[in-house]
Amino acid sequence: MKGILACWSSMMRVKLAEMMAYRSHFILSVLLLIVGDLVVPLVTLLVYRSGASFPGWTLHEALLVQAVFVLAKGIAFPFFFGMVGTTLSQVREGTFDLLLLRPRPVMFMSMLSGFDPDDFGRLVSGSVLFAFAMQGIVIPGGAAWVQFSLLFIASIAILFSMSLFLSGILFRWVGSSRVFDIFDAVSGFGMYPGTIFSKALQNVFTYILPIGLIAFVPASALLGREGWGSLWTLASAAALVLLGIVYWNRMLKNYTSAGG
Amino acid sequence: MNKQWAIIRAIGFVTYKEWAAFRSHMLASLFVGPVLFLVQVFIWQAMFVGKETINGLTFEHMLTYYGVVTLIHYITFDFADWNLQMLVRSGKFVTFALRPLPHWVFALAQKLGHRTLALGFEVLPVLLLFVLLFQVQLVPVAPGWAVVSILLSFLMSFMINYCVGLTAFWLVRAEGVRRVFLLLKDVSAGVFLPLSFFPEVVQKILFFLPFQFITYLPTRVFIGDYELAGIRLSIAEAVGLQALAVAVTAALMLLMYRAALKRFTGVGV
Repeated sequence: MKGILACWSSMMRVKLAEMMAYRSHFILSVLLLIVGDLVVPLVTLLVYRSGASFPGWTLHEALLVQAVFVLAKGIAFPFFFGMVGTTLSQVREGTFDLLLLRPRPVMFMSMLSGFDPDDFGRLVSGSVLFAFAMQGIVIPGGAAWVQFSLLFIASIAILFSMSLFLSGILFRWVGSSRVFDIFDAVSGFGMYPGTIFSKALQNVFTYILPIGLIAFVPASALLGREGWGSLWTLASAAALVLLGIVYWNRMLKNYTSAGG
Repeated sequence: MNKQWAIIRAIGFVTYKEWAAFRSHMLASLFVGPVLFLVQVFIWQAMFVGKETINGLTFEHMLTYYGVVTLIHYITFDFADWNLQMLVRSGKFVTFALRPLPHWVFALAQKLGHRTLALGFEVLPVLLLFVLLFQVQLVPVAPGWAVVSILLSFLMSFMINYCVGLTAFWLVRAEGVRRVFLLLKDVSAGVFLPLSFFPEVVQKILFFLPFQFITYLPTRVFIGDYELAGIRLSIAEAVGLQALAVAVTAALMLLMYRAALKRFTGVGV
């Protein structure tokens, strides 16, 4: 554990130093992520201003779902989602070999080298949005916060497993940046109240492809709309992470390096 | 002129063949496009409960809007900005500076080849999926004007992206500027939401920016009705305005290109 923390700390120092060499680029990137993550909430705001709404959801409640989504990304993206980009570029260039040679697990090294301080901007936009959304809803009690915190862990776990699946596929689908588009398209379902989808899709997003657990279920818990029964999702998230780890390691065996 | 055209065709053909080797990259759009569209279908289905129109648009109009936006995106997709910035940053631009052909012509020819390939692998399959699966009305009201407007949008998208790419001649690392600009471009072009949903003051500003000519205007021309910031134009007037904007942007791009070449320094140049 101590070794892992030391690795993280060194990587953070190196990446921050690297960013400071191009300060304007770093500041613009952080700003971009803040603004970029606020685009969907802005669209929601404009649509609500025009008199339309998601049935059964006030503006602040709908924004809460999107805020939780952005917050989850704010933790997932800097710490482990970068491994998708790392795998993408390093497998294509053949430099993934360097990760295989290091005296740490390959998956950990892949995550570590994908660490990106820019992505902390998402935490800022998520927090601002979360605070704004909370202003328009009744402050929940302690139990709702506990439930929310546990479900938020499940949310992070699901994003972790998604990063493993996306990164894993890149050992076979070499160099395809379209995996990011695929993630954006699929995760688009998770940014809105789950009740707008058909019953069949709601089931798919809860049991098969648990995108609804990223934001909709935790936000619903905070709004007092979910019972304690929803905590079973922690088990399903853990199962998905395990599946992701097995999948990633299996796909790693497909890495052929430059020598074939 | 014939020689220039032959060069453009040759570059376009080579780009076509080069990208044909990465077909799966484009084929991913067959999944991404319809999935993103499906999200919009559910969003607007929920929004239109108990409502005939929102901001003057019916549910069918809204689906057509997003359907056309997706197709225009695939037809006009451009990465001239990324490419140019990479060439400048890596120093590879020096090989283009020495060629007897302006780089912007080369980049436009590349785009022509790349997007011709996309017609078969992205645009037509996604169009069929929208029509057959989602039953979206994708027949333009005035087909001739719609084609002209989309072609102008193709040029506009290229020129704006190329201008963004040219910033690399002044900035050491222009990636951040590029990403900020492209995001603002998409928001201001109406990719996420029809511009008529924005507040009146913002609409007035957006009317005078070049971005609406990439997505919003051609989409409204396709639907057969243009209005922004309380200004209503006939289809012919809208396309005429778009052509004027393309001409002004072209002049700006050429000015920037000349200024950029004066700044360029490379090994041996």
